[in-house]
Amino acid sequence: MDHSEANRLMASEKYLLDELSPTEMEAFEEHLFDCRDCALDVRAGAVFLEQGKVELASSTVDAGRIAAEVRSSPGFQWWRTAFAIPAMAILLIVVGYQNLVTYPALKGALAENRAPRILPAAALVSSATRGAEPTTIEVRAGEPFLLPLDIPVQKAYQSYVVELQNPAGVVQWSLPVSSELLKNTLTIGAPGVDKDGRYEVIVLGRNGRGENSEVGRYPFDVRFVPAANPEP
Amino acid sequence: MQFHAFDRHYLEQLASGDFRTQEHFVSYFSELIRLKLSKRLHSHSEVEDARQETFARVFAALRKPDGIREPERLGAYVNSVCNNVLLEYYRSASQETTSDDEEAEANIPDPALSVVDVIANRQVQRNVREILDQLPEKDRRLIKEVFLEERDKDEICRDMGVDREYLRVLLHRAKKSFKSIYLKRIAKEAMPGC
Repeated sequence: MDHSEANRLMASEKYLLDELSPTEMEAFEEHLFDCRDCALDVRAGAVFLEQGKVELASSTVDAGRIAAEVRSSPGFQWWRTAFAIPAMAILLIVVGYQNLVTYPALKGALAENRAPRILPAAALVSSATRGAEPTTIEVRAGEPFLLPLDIPVQKAYQSYVVELQNPAGVVQWSLPVSSELLKNTLTIGAPGVDKDGRYEVIVLGRNGRGENSEVGRYPFDVRFVPAANPEP
Repeated sequence: MQFHAFDRHYLEQLASGDFRTQEHFVSYFSELIRLKLSKRLHSHSEVEDARQETFARVFAALRKPDGIREPERLGAYVNSVCNNVLLEYYRSASQETTSDDEEAEANIPDPALSVVDVIANRQVQRNVREILDQLPEKDRRLIKEVFLEERDKDEICRDMGVDREYLRVLLHRAKKSFKSIYLKRIAKEAMPGC
């Protein structure tokens, strides 16, 4: 493959998107290692995607952005006039409540979130491990904790889903995880729970057709400890 | 560093153990080798082992009197060494043998991040964020679902009413926007002999 052919085929993009056939991939790599332009192109693309993944994973939905995209419908113009005054009155009550009650509480929670703290972690052991006993984690009710997971990546799955099942067998939360993230130990910050007992982290592999299969199950026990007395 | 020619002088510097040249060499080929390997191997440790082995073999060849005959084909040579490492890995994988005692002795620059790297990475991340922020919500979602959630690409394109070509062009444009920033970044990195 020469440079013009690589450009014509958009080989850099296809390479990053895993769209080249094995033969095309070999041919492109032979060119890639020898061509500074293509090497720069692919390296820049790889760095962009790597950092982009980090960015997209950490970013929350930008509420302001979405709000700006919402367009009001002209059919509801009449609604504005008819309901403007009572709506304004309700709004004032809500704003007053928020300022007096909700925001101070949120400020407290935010300050707590910004402060460093030590979280308990559950050393998870797969239920398939012979003779292994589920670990016990001691937390206060509602206190977040950490779940470090080492999941072997399998070729058959394109991505994974990690679920937490509570003692009643109900899935408490579910978290999609990319294969890339599993190359290292995955540490999940789990929200606090309100029931003690045996929980299970269930890992599901998702194949190319979007079908899930169970890959592993990691039981652990949650034992509540009394909340510490507030400092005077 | 990107514009440094692979010539006889470069190879001599590399073979003599010049740290900056070695650093440039490892930095230039690391990402390419990692990408190539990660398309064929499935764990981070396998990729890292094979990457180290590739570098170790290239450095070993450089130290031989007639090791690499065509300096301008250095990239092709690295690729062929990497292919050999992969072939051997496939063979040995079935036999489950380890070769801890054959660890590379070459003094390869440590790829661990320095404070400067961390700051540079933060800048890169800020640049990437700016590029992503400029994309329409649909395109951001498309990139997120393809690369972060790694869903089936055909399925995503079908759901979002676009074709695969749209995805390629989207990546091409985002990459192009980022490339100029990336070029400036690597131009600031140390150049051999400077």
